[in-house]
Amino acid sequence: MTSPFSTVLDVLTRQRGVRASLIVSEQDGLVVDSNLRFGQDGARVAALAASMYRKARLSATAAHLGGVAFLQLDAERGRICAVGGRSDLVIVVVSDASANVGLIRVELLKALESLA
Amino acid sequence: MHDEIHRWSDELARDPSSLVFLQLAEALRRQGQLDVALKIALRGVERHAKHVEAHDLLARIAVDQRDFDRACAAWETVLSLQPEHVGAMKGLGYVHFQQRRLTDAEHYLSRAAQAGGGSDVAAALDAVRRSSGGVEVPAVDGVPLSDAHRLFADLLVDEGQTAILLDANGYVLAGLYLDEEGHDVAQEIGAQLSGISEEVVRSTRHLDLGEWRSIVFETGAAVVAMTPATENSLLVVAASRATPLGLLRRLLDRCADRARAWLSGAGR
Repeated sequence: MTSPFSTVLDVLTRQRGVRASLIVSEQDGLVVDSNLRFGQDGARVAALAASMYRKARLSATAAHLGGVAFLQLDAERGRICAVGGRSDLVIVVVSDASANVGLIRVELLKALESLA
Repeated sequence: MHDEIHRWSDELARDPSSLVFLQLAEALRRQGQLDVALKIALRGVERHAKHVEAHDLLARIAVDQRDFDRACAAWETVLSLQPEHVGAMKGLGYVHFQQRRLTDAEHYLSRAAQAGGGSDVAAALDAVRRSSGGVEVPAVDGVPLSDAHRLFADLLVDEGQTAILLDANGYVLAGLYLDEEGHDVAQEIGAQLSGISEEVVRSTRHLDLGEWRSIVFETGAAVVAMTPATENSLLVVAASRATPLGLLRRLLDRCADRARAWLSGAGR
């Protein structure tokens, strides 16, 4: 079954090193749609990404820095990247640590445009 | 860690003379269970009165409890047993500094520096000498700045760069976060970021991503980066949007090194 987000998620998941892509509701941390490789825990990724994005947005508001565009978590064995700010929806990618984050960032920002 | 604490507790119950109390009390101290850690350390010190690390541990727990007199006494015992113990010299320097006994603080930090205490001791010594030299203390929002506020001042060279160190509860330990109007909004930011470290640790482990290293986010006006300075503290650095990400990462690393050195001097 395809959803309005399938194309966007397919493009993101085709990037080298990308393990999962998701559309997440920032407010409640639930998965709206996802494209996951076998073994990925979409619900946990969604909850973490939404929470990080929300905390980043609230701290940016406290510092009068404006809205949050791109967010990136670096860990030993992987990365989580997220973009949002246009609505309650956050687009999230989980990738290998060695993936090209610059390219992922560009694709995420393009995906955000296409959802607008 | 929870399992290890259980194992060490059982071992200590089986054999009260075991030195495992050192690991147990240290683990409890790190978890913030200071009263229990203190009881265990005191019992350990009673049984092992000549054990240097037992007294050192007792001192560090006492510092965490802001019981500076007990910490002082414990570290003086350490130095009586092992006069070249750098940790005790640093600790006494810190405690005397907290009690505004600057001459004593300088004395112990100088000894630590001579004994090879490293760059953090040199930085602490410099801070003590500046404090005792009657240097005028600047203020933000009418509040005089302490040395903790100025911890990262010399590392933040460009306009718009700012850094704060938060504890696990989001309370500000050091640094300033000045907004565009020059107001310190560090506490507000700390409150919003409270708990993020713990949540990320839990989730990245569950997702098999390993230890987390940093979070960076871009806003309309700035780039903000954060990293765990120690297990229980979070360093947050911000710079103008024009700052290259590689440069921001270097700044984050340098501030994290400074924070770790400072926390190490503040009772480890």
